[in-house]
Amino acid sequence: MTYQTDVTIPDPAQGRELYRAHARSWLAANLPEHMRSDSLAYRAPTLEECTLWERAMHRAGLAGMTWPTEYGGFGLTLREHLAVNKEIGALMMPESVGSVGKELAGPIIMAVGTEAQKAEFLPRILRLEDYWCQGFSEPDAGSDLARLRTKAELEGETWRINGQKIWTSGAMKATYCLLLARTGTVADKHKGLVMFAVPMNSPGITVRPIKSIDGKESFAEVFFNNVEVADSLRLGAPDEGWSAAIRVLSIERATNRMYRPWRFEAELRSLLRACKSDAVLARRLDDSDVQRRVGEIVGQIDGLKGLIEASVEHLESGAPIGARGSLSKFYWSECHQAFAGFAYDLLAQVGPQSSPLARRAKAHFTTGYLFARAETIYAGVSEVQLDIIAQRILNLAKDK
Amino acid sequence: MSTEDDTLRPEDFADAALAAITDAAGHDIAGAAGLLAEAGLLGISAAEDDGGLGLGLEFALSLAAIAGRENLGFPFVEQMLLARAFAGTPQAAALIAGELVATIAWQGDVGLGLASQAPFAGVCGAVLVARDGEAVLFERESLQVSEDPALDPERPQSWLGLAGAREIAVLDTEGFAALRREARLLQGAYVTGLAEAALETTAAYLETRTQFGRPLSAKQAVRHSLARMKLLVEKNKAALARALAADEFGAARDARAAFVTAAADAGFVLERAIHLHGAMGFTWEVPLHRALRAVRKIDAAFDTPAALRGLGKTFIDAA
Ligand SMILES: Cc1cc2nc3c(=O)[nH]c(=O)nc-3n(C[C@H](O)[C@H](O)[C@H](O)COP(=O)(O)OP(=O)(O)OC[C@H]3O[C@@H](n4cnc5c(N)ncnc54)[C@H](O)[C@@H]3O)c2cc1C
Repeated sequence: MTYQTDVTIPDPAQGRELYRAHARSWLAANLPEHMRSDSLAYRAPTLEECTLWERAMHRAGLAGMTWPTEYGGFGLTLREHLAVNKEIGALMMPESVGSVGKELAGPIIMAVGTEAQKAEFLPRILRLEDYWCQGFSEPDAGSDLARLRTKAELEGETWRINGQKIWTSGAMKATYCLLLARTGTVADKHKGLVMFAVPMNSPGITVRPIKSIDGKESFAEVFFNNVEVADSLRLGAPDEGWSAAIRVLSIERATNRMYRPWRFEAELRSLLRACKSDAVLARRLDDSDVQRRVGEIVGQIDGLKGLIEASVEHLESGAPIGARGSLSKFYWSECHQAFAGFAYDLLAQVGPQSSPLARRAKAHFTTGYLFARAETIYAGVSEVQLDIIAQRILNLAKDK
Repeated sequence: MSTEDDTLRPEDFADAALAAITDAAGHDIAGAAGLLAEAGLLGISAAEDDGGLGLGLEFALSLAAIAGRENLGFPFVEQMLLARAFAGTPQAAALIAGELVATIAWQGDVGLGLASQAPFAGVCGAVLVARDGEAVLFERESLQVSEDPALDPERPQSWLGLAGAREIAVLDTEGFAALRREARLLQGAYVTGLAEAALETTAAYLETRTQFGRPLSAKQAVRHSLARMKLLVEKNKAALARALAADEFGAARDARAAFVTAAADAGFVLERAIHLHGAMGFTWEVPLHRALRAVRKIDAAFDTPAALRGLGKTFIDAA
């Protein structure tokens, strides 16, 4: 597959709409039909196909919009990032295979990394020469992340890592792990946490895939047995790990996958098109309950767009992310999970007698329904988001 | 608009607006109109030639939210909308000066001979009624008003007979469509203001109400309820602000989704607020019931359940 690379990247100073228009036309012209999950030509893309696609997107100015040009970015603002994400969302394209690098590791390295680390890692992330995974959660440290045990001990210029991570998405393909470990004991809680960029080919690392609800091996256990990591791979000060982790998580909730409401809208549209293509399903669309439910979903999508755009304006005004991301993380995951149930129910009776598009939609939305179970869990469970809103946005008293 | 005005923000008006609105709340309709006019609020987004301040609709939106928070007993949103819509007419000047108080019948049509859902119709000087796409401002004296106190005995809903109605002015189809779009934004802000005030009252109450030896706000179930309410309020404020702004390509956004959702969520927030007050929430004295009635009247005025279905049907048809 070859992609259009002789691209003139517009200057947003010439007009706010230019970047979005550029993203729209480039994506429409270049996204292969077989990668569109609402197309009859769809087949699951390989890792290599996804990688080549994302590299082409980067060359077209559709990744790294906000990153400095010296690190391979385009030196623009979150507004262009948002404009591009709206168009990424509008098409039913595969999820990024480099999102942990681009949306978590990259921003954190930018924030706390040394100059050498930035020069080393950031361009490789954008060019998708590395795949990153996020090594935070452990068997005994889920929602209560501060109880993590993985130990990091400094011996001269080298750290020795021992412990276990779990639920590490994409660990099988990862070349680097954004690892959170501790220098002291569990009793220190938030103190003494330290973050590293650990090469996944380091001796002593074992990755054991875990089969997930959708039948895929999307995450893994990762064991660290006397893994040696050079001090030059430490990200931020030894005591900065917690604040860096909190920043990663705030970013994860506030700016990660900003395309979500626009993708949600594209999914709703593709579901309805599939229904219209089938005589039996088309009749269900006349049902006033279905219309009301679609109306609710349209309202939720609209509200999510509002939350995301407000966050972008908030950040562009120089304000810190704070707890705002919890509003969109909670609302998106709850609404989208409910939508996935609605889509599944609508398509449940689709079979060999149904239209080809309805059968394609059934395959897509059945997996989607199962995968949506994770949405209220990963990046912080819903209950924790509500705790954060109560504590940090409403400032509710706990005790008098 | 002058360059000086460009640097003015809606927040800059908030304190003065709040003072005028609280002041107005203690007066009858004519007195309230005078006070609101004096503070410049009725014509905030109306033409300067008519005596308005000529500020953008975001200013009216912010005032609507404040009026909602105070559950002001005045057809404030309607008056602001009419003052804009009738730009260049003597009626606009009279509305902005508070000499004429007018409202809008959100349901009905001259063709049906019946109109309804006009807030405060009983005490207004004029009522706008739809007529086959356009709309007519009628002298209220010439209409047969019958009040329906079932939902709100203090501020009843009303049914208007139109036989022998005297026309004051006509709003063309385009102007009436623009008014309806703006109404969704302002009413959305109004109901969200009602919800936000109720949420704040409820959070403050639960921080002081002690049971089980601790403030109830320490209980996770209570905190989560409040957090959900807060989320809905913030989400609707963001959605309304977004609907107000043009998109990247300069096109106006549809405000339907933001409005219908804001109204539905405001009902939810008010019902939760009452529940979270325990029996205290069931009393006449705690004014949450008034806010709930206000939200429900807006639901009825805009038939939001049908509007929600319509939103779905429109999306389905366009998919
Ligand atoms: C698909 C997927 C991908 C993931 N990828 C990664 C990854 O790449 N890297 C990584 O580090 N982690 C990853 N995670 C892990 C994720 O961050 C954790 O699952 C999450 O933080 C919750 O921890 P837990 O699973 O241990 O649940 P627990 O903390 O054991 O919680 C179990 C349940 O208890 C309830 N609960 C928890 N806390 C509270 C509370 N404070 N108040 C009330 N109720 C509560 C909730 O209902 C929760 O679902 C992934 C998870 C999933 C599902």
